Amino acid sequence: MDSRIVHFITALRASGVRISLAESQDAFYAINHLGLDDREVFRVSLKSTLVKEAKDAPAFDRLFPLFFGSGQPPMTNGTGGMSADEQQMLEDVLREILRELRAELMRRLAEGRPLTPEELQQMGQQAGLPNAHQMYQQQWITRRMLQQLGLQDLQEAIDELMELLAALGLSDEARQQLRAAMQGNAEALEEQVDDYVGQQIAENMAQEYEKRPPLDDLMHRPFETLSERERDELRRQVARLAAQLRSRAALRQKRGKEGTLDPKATLRANLQYGGVPIKMKFKHKQLKPKLVLIADVSTSMRPVAEFMVRLMYELSDQISRARSFAFINHIHDLTREFEHGRANEVVQEVLERIPPGYYNTDLGAALIEFTHDHFDSVDRRTIVIFLGDGRNNYNDPRLDLVDQIKRRAKRVLWFNPEHPLQWRHGDSDMLQYAPLCHAVHRVSNLAELAEAVDRLFD
Amino acid sequence: MFKDKREVQNCLGEQQYIATDEISTVLFLAERLDKPILAEGPAGVGKTELAKAWAGATGRELIRLQCYEGLDETKALYEWEYAKQMLYTQLLRDKLSQLLSEAETLSAAADRLANEEDVFFSERFLLPRPLLRALTSDKPVVLLIDEIDRSDTEFEAFLLEILSDFQVSVPELGTIKARHQPLVLLTSNNTRELSEALKRRCLYLFVDYPTMEQELNIVRLKVPDLNVKLAQQAVQIVQRLRTMDLKKSPSVSETLDWAKALVALNADHMDEATLNTTLTVLLKHESDVQRARQGMESRSGRGGSQAVDRYDANDSDPRRRRR
Repeated sequence: MDSRIVHFITALRASGVRISLAESQDAFYAINHLGLDDREVFRVSLKSTLVKEAKDAPAFDRLFPLFFGSGQPPMTNGTGGMSADEQQMLEDVLREILRELRAELMRRLAEGRPLTPEELQQMGQQAGLPNAHQMYQQQWITRRMLQQLGLQDLQEAIDELMELLAALGLSDEARQQLRAAMQGNAEALEEQVDDYVGQQIAENMAQEYEKRPPLDDLMHRPFETLSERERDELRRQVARLAAQLRSRAALRQKRGKEGTLDPKATLRANLQYGGVPIKMKFKHKQLKPKLVLIADVSTSMRPVAEFMVRLMYELSDQISRARSFAFINHIHDLTREFEHGRANEVVQEVLERIPPGYYNTDLGAALIEFTHDHFDSVDRRTIVIFLGDGRNNYNDPRLDLVDQIKRRAKRVLWFNPEHPLQWRHGDSDMLQYAPLCHAVHRVSNLAELAEAVDRLFD
Repeated sequence: MFKDKREVQNCLGEQQYIATDEISTVLFLAERLDKPILAEGPAGVGKTELAKAWAGATGRELIRLQCYEGLDETKALYEWEYAKQMLYTQLLRDKLSQLLSEAETLSAAADRLANEEDVFFSERFLLPRPLLRALTSDKPVVLLIDEIDRSDTEFEAFLLEILSDFQVSVPELGTIKARHQPLVLLTSNNTRELSEALKRRCLYLFVDYPTMEQELNIVRLKVPDLNVKLAQQAVQIVQRLRTMDLKKSPSVSETLDWAKALVALNADHMDEATLNTTLTVLLKHESDVQRARQGMESRSGRGGSQAVDRYDANDSDPRRRRR
C-alpha cells in the first residue's frame, strides 16, 4: 500500500501539484493514524494533506480512482444457474464458433473472468501504452485495447451466440440470464481496461517527471531554446519565484516607510501614555509602484511576454495598479483579461484576438495609438516597461513619443532579450531607444527576468 | 474527542450547521492529527460559521482573530501595558526608593533594581491579544484566524511557529507553550496566494457553494418560517444566478437574507414584483441586477414565476456546469 501511495504522490507531482516532503509525510501519518477501513476518510486524508490549492483538486479527483479505484471490477458468472447439460451445450456452441479470439472473449464474458495483469500488460504493449505520457491519450489507447479484445461489435456476436443456443434448445430463462451477465461483464471489462490504461499513463508521467532536467538549469536557459515541456515546467515555478519576489518587495516596503510624522495618529496612539509622545506614527510612503507594460507579442517575443505577464499577475498585490498592453503593429489593451483571467491564457487570448496574417512589428504605429487612446494610464507615479527586441522592420521608431511618455512617467524601463552586441545589427532601433530609457535590462532567461522585475520594487 | 466523522456531522448538525462529508472528515482529521485547517472558498459560503459551529460542537470557546492589512504581532499576540506599568512605577516609587536607599554603592542599587525587574516585565502587564489568549486559556478553545489572505506576508511567517508547535516566543518572558492545544481554523477568500510554508502546516479544505439540495436544507433549517415551495423556488433562482457571469455571485448568507426578506414581506409565491423588489438583497452591484433581470426574462419571456419553474432539478448542480 505504501508504495502505491508513493506512486500516487509522484503522479500528482507529475500533473503539476506541488507536494513537499513534509506534506507526503503528513499523508502517511494521517493514514497510519486513521487506518484504511473507511474509503471516504482515506480519500479526504490524502486530499487534505496533499492538495493545498483549489486548482489542483481536479487532478487529485482524476488520479485517485485510478490508483485506489474500484480495483477488480465485479464480474458475474452467467453459467452459474445452468444445468450440466446446458453448460455442455454452451461449451459446444463456443467450440462451434471457434473464430480464434472471439470465442475466447465469449467464454470470458460468459464465465465472468477478468483480465490478468499479464494479459493487460501484453495488450498495453501492443497498443503503445508504454509511450503514452499524456492523460488525453487514455481514451484512444483504451479503445485500441478493446479492439484487440474484439469488443467492438460485441452485440452482434452475442446475438449470434444466442441464436445458436436457441436453436439448440436452451431455455429462454437461461439465455436471458446469460445475456445479461455477458453484457454486464463486457462493461466491467471495459472499465478494467480503462482503469488500467489510466493508471499506467499516470505512472509513466510520474517516471517521466523524475527524469526532468534540473530547474536551476532551466532558469538560466534562454527562452527560445526551451521546449514546450520545459516551458511548462517553468510556468509552474513562476508562482514560487513570485512568492520570493513578493516577500522581498513587502519587506522593502516595510523597512522603507520612513514618511513624515502623522500627528493625528501619533496623538491617538499616545493617549494611553497621557499624551506623552512615546510612540511615533508616520505617514506611510506609498511605495507600491503603478505599472504599465507594453509588450511585443510577435513570434520571437512570445515566451518572454508570457512569463512577464505571468510574473506581473502573480505580483499584483505588490503593485497598486497594473495595466498591460500588447502590440505587434496595433496596440491591444490586456488589462481586462489580466484582471479577470488567470495569467495562463492571457497572452494566448490576445494572439487569438489579433487577426491572423503577416505580422509586421511596428512599435511606432503602436505608440501612436497608445498615446492617443491610453495616455491617461501614465502618470508621474507610473513605471512604464517596454518589453521587446526593438526590431521595428525599418518603420519609424517614433522616438518623440517615447520621450513624451518618459516626461510624464516616473520611470521608463526597457526589457530586451537580445544581447547588446546584437542591437547594432539589422533592423534594431534599440540603440536609439536605449538613451531614452532610465534603464535597459537584458532578459533572455527567467532568472534575468526575475531580477529585472525585482528591481522594479527598489 | 469525536469517535468518527458521523459524530462530527451530527454534532455540527446540532449547531445548525449542515456539513458535507468532506467537511466533517477534515474536522475529524484535524482533531486527530492536531493540525490546523486552512479553509478556502468564495466569500459567504459559511467558513466563519463553520468555526462557530465547531466551537459549539466541541463545547469550546471561540477566539477569533480578524486579519487585515497591517495587522502585526502587537495586535495579534500581545502588547505591554505601558500605562499600567507607568502607573505602578509611580505608585511604587516610595517602596522603590526605600529599597534602593539601603544599597551602598550605585552598582549595588542597580543589582537590587535588576532583581525586582521581573515585577515590571511579568504577565501582569502583558495585554493578551487573541493568539496569546488562545494559547494561555485555561480551557481548550477553537481559534479562528479569519481571512488570513488579507494580512501581510510577514504576518503569515509569524504565524508559522504558532501553527506548527503551538507556542510563541515573547522576548522578555521566554517561550509560552499552549496549555491546551487549540483547534485552529484559518479561512481565506483566495484573494492572494498564501505561502507554501503556511499551507504545508495545514490540512486543506475547499468549501464551495452548496449544491441545490444542501442549500435548500440550509434555508429550511435557518429560516423555518418560509414555506417549502417558496424556499425551493428561491434556492433555484440563487443557484441559477451563480451560473451567470456576475461581478459578485450571491453567497449562502445572502440566500438566507433573501429568505428572511421574503418571510418579512409575507410573500407566499414568487412573482415578478416580489423578485424585482427583493433582488437587491441578493445582488450588490447595479450591473449584476440588470444582467440578472435580463437573464431571467430571456429565459421565460413572461415573468419571474415561470422562469423559476424552468430551472428544474436536472441542472441543479451549478458547479458541474461551470467547470
